[in-house]
Amino acid sequence: MSKYWAVFKTQLLNNFAYAGDLAAGSVMIVLFLWIFAQLWKVTYSAVGTERIAGLSRQDTLWYLMLAEVIVLSKPRLARTIAQQVRDGSVAYLLNKPYHFLLYQCSVGLGDSVLRIVTNTLMGGAVVWLLVGPPPNPQGWPLVFVTVVLAWLLDFCITAMIGLAAFITEEVRAFEWIYQKILFILGGLLIPLDFYPSWLQTIAKATPFAYTLYGPARLFVEPSLLRFGEVVLGQVVWLAILAGLLTFFYQRGVTRLAINGG
Amino acid sequence: MTSFQREFRFLLALWKANLLAAMEYRGAFLLQVVGMILNNAIYFVFWILFFQRFQQVRGWKLDDMLLLFSVVATGFGLATFFFGNAVSLCEVITEGRLDYYLSLPRPVLMHVLASGSVASGMGDFTYGLLSFVVAGHFGIDAIGRFLLGSFLAIIVFLAVLVIAHSTAFWLGNANVLAAQVTNAMITFALYPITLFDGTAKFLLFTLLPAAFVGAVPAEFVRAFSWRVLGQMLGATLIFLVLALVIFHRGLRHYESGSAIQTQV
Repeated sequence: MSKYWAVFKTQLLNNFAYAGDLAAGSVMIVLFLWIFAQLWKVTYSAVGTERIAGLSRQDTLWYLMLAEVIVLSKPRLARTIAQQVRDGSVAYLLNKPYHFLLYQCSVGLGDSVLRIVTNTLMGGAVVWLLVGPPPNPQGWPLVFVTVVLAWLLDFCITAMIGLAAFITEEVRAFEWIYQKILFILGGLLIPLDFYPSWLQTIAKATPFAYTLYGPARLFVEPSLLRFGEVVLGQVVWLAILAGLLTFFYQRGVTRLAINGG
Repeated sequence: MTSFQREFRFLLALWKANLLAAMEYRGAFLLQVVGMILNNAIYFVFWILFFQRFQQVRGWKLDDMLLLFSVVATGFGLATFFFGNAVSLCEVITEGRLDYYLSLPRPVLMHVLASGSVASGMGDFTYGLLSFVVAGHFGIDAIGRFLLGSFLAIIVFLAVLVIAHSTAFWLGNANVLAAQVTNAMITFALYPITLFDGTAKFLLFTLLPAAFVGAVPAEFVRAFSWRVLGQMLGATLIFLVLALVIFHRGLRHYESGSAIQTQV
């Protein structure tokens, strides 16, 4: 594991060199949360109630903050892997004494850590300013665990999309579609609790809900029971997706053809 | 042949070359087009779900959002498909690639912008048309307003991108700034303008004129109004002139290492 830890640390240090860019990148979370704050202010005021589906305006905004942090801190892994497959540089990674997927996972984590920190600080500051303090800090360690598992779920899916380059070469379309499905079924733009009940049932059974809705809902309403439910769902989906990823990786490598180099 | 006709023919030749280049990788092109249509359609599900539950946002309903998405997607799609380098102009400037365009007897800005094409722009454009059809405004006058509104939105969008990317003449690396302006324009353009009051609304009509690529043309498509038409024409003219002035002022600051480049 020490080599993957070294890759993670190196990538993290690389990112420190671009701390200014990272801070500038966090402008997007400020923008999104400010727009959401306007949208939900108008909506709650129009509905005329303190709570919608059990969530106050403050809960909704903090929920959206955490969901946005998860989405905006993801590395562009699919594009990176696809590029490595297309230009043949994957050959230089495959013959190194590490597992290609674990290497990508370490690099991706190294890329995400600082983004998570800057996005949380910027997003948290905006939401605090607009609707008041964050939910109970006692739940934060539990949320942290679910965010890590959510990151791994997303890694499995985006890595599979990247590996699709072994077949199609162009993977951006798959990336866009996955991203939007994650937005809708994961509950990035609107908490799943506001959906019609039939759609809630479907969405909550998918890995997308365990990537965004699970951690974000736990953040605003922390409890051990909810934590257990979220982690159980995440672990089950992680086992399924990791199995699929390993299968597709092995199939992809057998198809790989490198000409020259 | 007048100068305008000559430049227009040149523009058509550039677009033809871009299209032929895209057709070389037909599968990838179609995948991006279809992918972008699906991407936009899935994103719109958010508004369907939202309005199913809350009916309206300060007077805006699902029908208004369909029109808004139709204008923004059409404007953005055509702008990036036909003038694809507008989204990477700052890189052209900082990497010294303007040398190639400056050495030719053609309008530099038009030439550089139209020398690139973003394939997914065709997907955005197609989605915009579909959204307009679903909105159900089938009258000849509504179609005319849609065409005019989208055309003016394209110009405003391109003008803002040119202004943002031209800061590279002075700042050097303007990638982050240009990307933020692009994202902010699209993001704000896709929300009901009635959400914003006071200073925010003022900014969306001036410093970051997202209202002129979204809400204002959408309002014009919904119903004709001399006031809205005047606003759109005025804003288009102002931002177009600003973009031309800033880009050409920037050219005076342009420096390159005279690197040998190949234009493919």
